[in-house]
Formats: sequence, structure tokens, C-alpha cells
Amino acid sequence: MLEVHQVDVHYGDIQALWNVSFRVEGGEIVSLIGSNGAGKTTVLKAISGILSLTKGSVTIDGVRSDTIKAYQIVEQGVSLVPEGRRLFRDMTVIENLELGGYIERVRPQKNENLEWIFQMFPVLDQRVHQLAGTLSGGEQQMLAIARGLMSEPKLLLVDELSLGLAPLIVKHIYMTLKEINRSKKMTILIVEQNVRLALEISDRGYIIENGRITGEGKGSDLLKSDKVKTAYLAMG
Amino acid sequence: MQILSYGLLNGALYSLVALGLSLVFGVMNYLMVAHGGLIMLAAYTTFWAFFYTHIDPFLFILVVTPLFFIIGWILFKILFQSLMKFPEGEKIKNSLLISFGLLLIFSNLAILFWTADERAVTTVYAGKVLDVFGIRLPYTGLGGVAIAIIVIIALHLFLTRTYFGKAIRAVSLDHEAATLMGINVNKVYLVAFSIGCALAGIPGVLTSLHALNPAISFDLTNKALIVLILAGVGSIKGVLIGGFFLGAIEAAGVYLVGTPYREVFGLILFVLILMFRPQGLTGKKA
Repeated sequence: MLEVHQVDVHYGDIQALWNVSFRVEGGEIVSLIGSNGAGKTTVLKAISGILSLTKGSVTIDGVRSDTIKAYQIVEQGVSLVPEGRRLFRDMTVIENLELGGYIERVRPQKNENLEWIFQMFPVLDQRVHQLAGTLSGGEQQMLAIARGLMSEPKLLLVDELSLGLAPLIVKHIYMTLKEINRSKKMTILIVEQNVRLALEISDRGYIIENGRITGEGKGSDLLKSDKVKTAYLAMG
Repeated sequence: MQILSYGLLNGALYSLVALGLSLVFGVMNYLMVAHGGLIMLAAYTTFWAFFYTHIDPFLFILVVTPLFFIIGWILFKILFQSLMKFPEGEKIKNSLLISFGLLLIFSNLAILFWTADERAVTTVYAGKVLDVFGIRLPYTGLGGVAIAIIVIIALHLFLTRTYFGKAIRAVSLDHEAATLMGINVNKVYLVAFSIGCALAGIPGVLTSLHALNPAISFDLTNKALIVLILAGVGSIKGVLIGGFFLGAIEAAGVYLVGTPYREVFGLILFVLILMFRPQGLTGKKA
């Protein structure tokens, strides 16, 4: 359903991605793993249209998405949960969720979507009128994901959700994502530095190094591979 | 008491004067110092329309406000749209330079069309007062207070209760995250800027009821900036409080020292707030 084909991305004169190609099938959870500065976040920003490509194409369900504006890509069914959460801190939880469901297509389903999201993340239900900036780190991450889900995406992109959170909370959030994937058949692309956790819940994974895809495989196979063990799991 | 109440009547006008400037600055970091010029032009438009029709000037709000929305739309398309891609600091500097040029153009246009003579709309109820326990309150001033409160509540409801209003606030907090919500940031900027200009129409009509000359554009921008600093950036409620506060301080200054020093008190207040409470009267610490 997502096809990234021979993509180059530049920040000014500096090239960040080199001929990146990969695909994600409908209903899959795929993780993109790599070290700091490898280009993981850049890939997600390119898919969501915030960065423009210098070469290549991004296709979602057969429709090119790199030729339209970033805000229109949300209508195409892609939602990015950005690194660092990027909540609207001075607005309430419910306002953040309403903005997540801003596009016209999903507005009529607002109440059903809220109900479903509060089932997934009951803690948000108790905090609806609290300012987003006053939530704890874990709650903020849950709100960021919930906000991303409000636009009823076909493809959810999740960037470094473990950043600055306690391992138990991270695990809990990943289990919730897995549950959403299963119950809604939602396709999820995860970018994560916590390689073990990401591969454990993923169907497949891609390894990215210095802006290039250097490996791929099933999640369980990658976990066992020497390359991943030595480079990312410190088990060499 | 009489002087204080005049101060509060003026304060309502000051709130309205600052409202558009505050919205535009809060949402897109454009320091639109031509705002006073727009208000002055709105006042002349009202004066001119009243001269030919003799309809109650308060009714012109319904015409002048949409007119200035359209003017704002055109100004943004021609002059301000290209600034959007600049980093935040550059936006302030460039918008300041462009709008200061506009301010000079506006006041010179006013001199050209209407001369530098002082003018005012004289309604049948001009000079009529309401007597409350010996305090004389002019009807026009009271109308101004009522309108200021209505407009500020309406703007507040628009920003907190509608999807588009929430989108405006989201863009002002984090425009990239807003894009990820499917919000068209270009459109939000265009509409917010146009609303800011439309909000010059209302104080324009009210100003036309007092003394009107081309030089007031600078004076009005001055007042708007003082209220903006008093209110703290991006606070609509603060604008209401800041406007009344400035009105009251000026009135007290006039009473204690004398009318020629009226402007001085506002400016002293401006400096004091920047020195001791840069986040504004109602703002939170950054």
C-alpha cells in the first residue's frame, strides 16, 4: 500500500537520503531501524510531505503522494505521529483530538472516533479538559498517537515514540498499537531506536544506515541476524 | 470619577484598536504596524459615507468590516504572502519594514484625499450624555464599550468553538504540526491576516465619531503596540484588560499632570512593562 521508490532527499546542499526504496503492504507493521542520524525521521517526513523529494516517488495505494501538498496527504489517509510528540501544548486534550480530526471527511464521525480512542487510552478520557502541556510524558505520547488516529488513517507513521519514556510505558503503548493494527487492519510504519522492541511487534523491518537501506527481513529473522545483534543490540 | 470613566470609555476603544494587531502578531509573527493606518482609513471611509448618506455611523460597521477584510486579503496576497517562508525573526523584521512603509503611504493618501484638516462625524446624539449618579457618560462612548465587549467575546468564541478558529490557534502554536493535521497553513495565514484587517474597521468607525486627521494613524499604532505589550502576545482576554488599563492610566495621568502629557504615560507604561513584566499583565512566564 505504501511504495517508496528510489528517493533522494536533501537538506539544502547536504544529501540525507540516497536511493531509498522500500514497501509496506496493507495491514502490516513495518519498522525502520537505524542509529541516530541515519535518516529514519527524514524518511517519515518525506512520506508525510513535510520534506520534498529531490528524486524518486512515494505512492500510496497506487496514487502518487509526493506531488501534492503536505496537508493534502492527510486526506489521502496518511498520519504522522511526529518525533517529540509536537502536541499543541496550550490547548486542551479534547482540542488536540479535534484538530487531529480536522479534515472534513472525518468530522461527522468525531464522536465514534473519540469513543474508540478513549477505549484504547482510558487515561485521556479522564484528562479531556486538561492542557496538553501539563500531561505526563507517557500521556503526551498517547495523546500524540490518539491525535494521529483521529484522521482515520490507512497508514500510521510513528516516529520514536520511546523517546524519554519509561520502558514499561513504551511497552504498553506498543501493545496498544499492535492491538489497533489487529482490530482495525491499520498499516503502521514505525521508526525506532529501541530496536528489540520495534522488531518484536513488527512483521518486517528495514535497516537504514547513512541514508541508505542496507538490509531487510522478517522482524523475528532480523532479531536473530548477526548484523542486528552486533550493531544494535550490543550482543556481539 | 468622571475622568476615570472617560478613561474606561477610551480604554474600550484601545482594546479594539489593538485586537487585529494582536491577532496577526500572535498567529503569524507579523508586526503589522500599518494597523493604525487601516483604522484611520476606515474612519475616513465612515466619515465620507456618513457625509453622503447620513445613516447612523454605527451601522457602517456592517459595511466597513467586510470591506477591510477584502483589503486585508489583497494586501496579504500582494505584500505579505512571500514572507511566510522566512524564519520567525525575519518575519518580524520584514513585516515591520513593509507595514511601516504602508503606514506612511496610508497617511499620505489620507492627506491627499481628505487634507490634513481635522474632521469628525457629527451624529444627532453627539454630545448627548447618560447621567449615572452624577457621572456623565456620552452615548457614543458607551456604544464603543458595548461593541468592544461584543467583538472580543465573538472573536473568543470563534477561536475556541469553531474548527477554523482552533486551526488558527494550532497554527500559531506549531505550524508544522498543524500541517500534519491536514490544516492548510497558507489559507489560515491568509484568513487570519484578513480578519486582523477587518478588525481595523470597527475601531475605525468609532474613531470617526471623535476627532479625525491623517496623523492619528501613528497615534493608533502606538496605542495598539502599548496594549499588545500590556496584554502579552497572543492573549485576546489580555487585550481587553490591557486596553482598559491603558485608558485608566492615561486618565489618571491627565488628571494629575495635565492633558499635554497624555501620550507620555502610555509610553512610560510601555517601557516599565517591558522592563519588569515582559510576558504582559496576564501572560504566563515563557
